[in-house]
Amino acid sequence: MLRYVLRRTVGWIAMIVAATNAAFFLASWFLDPRSNYRELGKLRTDQQISTALRPYGLDPDQSVVDRWWFWIKDVVLHFDWGHSPTGVSVNSEVAYRVVVSGELVLVGTVLSVVLGVALGVYTASRQYGAVDRITQTVSIVLYNVPTAVGALGLVLFAVWFNQRIGTTVLHVAGASTPGIDGAWSRLFDRLDHLVLPTVALTLLGYASWHVTQRALLLDTLHADFVRTARATGLTRTQAIRRHALRASLIPTATSVAFTVPSVFTGAIITETVFGWRGMGTYFTGTIANNDVHGAVAVAAFGAAMTAIGAIFADIATVALDPRIRVR
Amino acid sequence: MTASSLLTADATAPPVRLGRVRLYARRFARNRGALLGVALFLGLVLFALFGSLFTSWTFSESDYFALTQPPTTAHPFGTNQGGNDVLAECVHGLQRSLVIALTVSVLTMIIAAVVGAGAAYLGGRLERFSLAAIHFLLVVPSFLILALVSNRVAGDWRVLIIVLTIFGWMFNARVIWSVSTSLRERDYVRTAEFMGVKPWRIVLRHIVPHLGALLIVNLTLGIDDTVLSETALSFLGFGVKPPDVSLGSLLADGASTISSASWLFVYPAGLLVVLTVSVMLIGDGLRDALDPTSFSGGRG
Repeated sequence: MLRYVLRRTVGWIAMIVAATNAAFFLASWFLDPRSNYRELGKLRTDQQISTALRPYGLDPDQSVVDRWWFWIKDVVLHFDWGHSPTGVSVNSEVAYRVVVSGELVLVGTVLSVVLGVALGVYTASRQYGAVDRITQTVSIVLYNVPTAVGALGLVLFAVWFNQRIGTTVLHVAGASTPGIDGAWSRLFDRLDHLVLPTVALTLLGYASWHVTQRALLLDTLHADFVRTARATGLTRTQAIRRHALRASLIPTATSVAFTVPSVFTGAIITETVFGWRGMGTYFTGTIANNDVHGAVAVAAFGAAMTAIGAIFADIATVALDPRIRVR
Repeated sequence: MTASSLLTADATAPPVRLGRVRLYARRFARNRGALLGVALFLGLVLFALFGSLFTSWTFSESDYFALTQPPTTAHPFGTNQGGNDVLAECVHGLQRSLVIALTVSVLTMIIAAVVGAGAAYLGGRLERFSLAAIHFLLVVPSFLILALVSNRVAGDWRVLIIVLTIFGWMFNARVIWSVSTSLRERDYVRTAEFMGVKPWRIVLRHIVPHLGALLIVNLTLGIDDTVLSETALSFLGFGVKPPDVSLGSLLADGASTISSASWLFVYPAGLLVVLTVSVMLIGDGLRDALDPTSFSGGRG
């Protein structure tokens, strides 16, 4: 098992390195850091801009290989992922934003998984009942609602709700209200800001868990080993819980393992709509502001999280599925 | 005639044979949701084609006497901050989104079918290379590359089609590959080999058609995926850009004024949801109609 995980890890690290370097060349090719300085208002010559960009290794007058060497040296030797064209350190920016994204997405993800899987299990054993039909319709519609539409729809509802109540109960923007004193009121304020984005993430995220878990359990519900279990004298509920459910949870566990690390890569559209400064908005910001190093760091981080998720998924499969043996 | 002879006459009469297409059509038509999906989708297509008849404005004209106006008779969906007619914008945006979604899903499905089935049948180095390329493109954060490329080319919808196609075929190719690996040992493929049919011809004439049901269903669901990614890109400002509009960029316009001018958000959002849900209903109906083991559309 350990050797298997090690071998997979080595393979993934190679993938990450390749993907990160590919991202660097793509970003260097498609993003032009000079245009940021051109937009600053004061007219500068290209020469002045190049001089300003040179200390960060972003000077377009240097060859792309030189810039790559400058960047990779710092990454390998100091784990320093470089600077934005305006000189902000990528490391400090990412460190701060990962926490923000984690705070925002973690609760939403956990709620989606729990709600979705519970609904899937409940409705699969009552296939074509009233509850099943209604929740299935709702989930399929929600599954097909674009995130932007769903999140903005919630904002619209919150604005209407706040007007009805007369005070701002549901905050539609930001992670906290500036200038609040006292630890308790600050904590409460932060939680209050979390409500809407969490609801958005849960409503738009649970549907796929519900639909897949329902389908998985329906597949195993009629399997021979469940009938055998019934034949040994178990009640239907016992047979489902001990045999069908356990088998159908294996693929779900794999997906959960894949999902958990992606919590930290953030939710691009939800963060944009609700004005959170997390990894998702950092990603759009790097591209809009021609921040080559920032964009590459996001790509590397995303690839690393995918790899960790995949390794977790492998471990989960081996741990849960008695039929799988690895060497 | 007695009752018993009637019965025997019925039993011995040859069963009515339906053509394959008619059988599929019958199974599809039994599914009420699927029919609703077709009706909604046709309605959207008609709206995209003829919706401009309901307004005398085009999407790029500005009515300077009606800035940010709620829906009126002159502007049935209202106007935005620049005085553009929202109905005209929605019709144009729906055209863009539909054209992009249909083209991209057809193109990605063709690439996925040829690469997936080709790799599975021809095997060897080609297979290893295709699989490595697929896995690599799956690991590379495709949304980042999409955003990078389409941001640079500044919102031309034709380039957006190319970019979405290049980064959209891998997952389907992987699925098609794993299904096709079981087809290459089939008798009819072997027979074709013994008859001296050329390898690529076997792939195109014998393997790909066998995947027909899978391809059609994935094609339909691919439309939804494309609509969702196009919307996300345009919403973030990396897809279709002004002066052109798509439903995603209309959403982004509406987002900033959602509490003061909600009609800017409500109409494009409604069209988007109807579009994705109708396509999904059609896809589900097709899956049930084409899958011989599914009885959700009734037996036979």
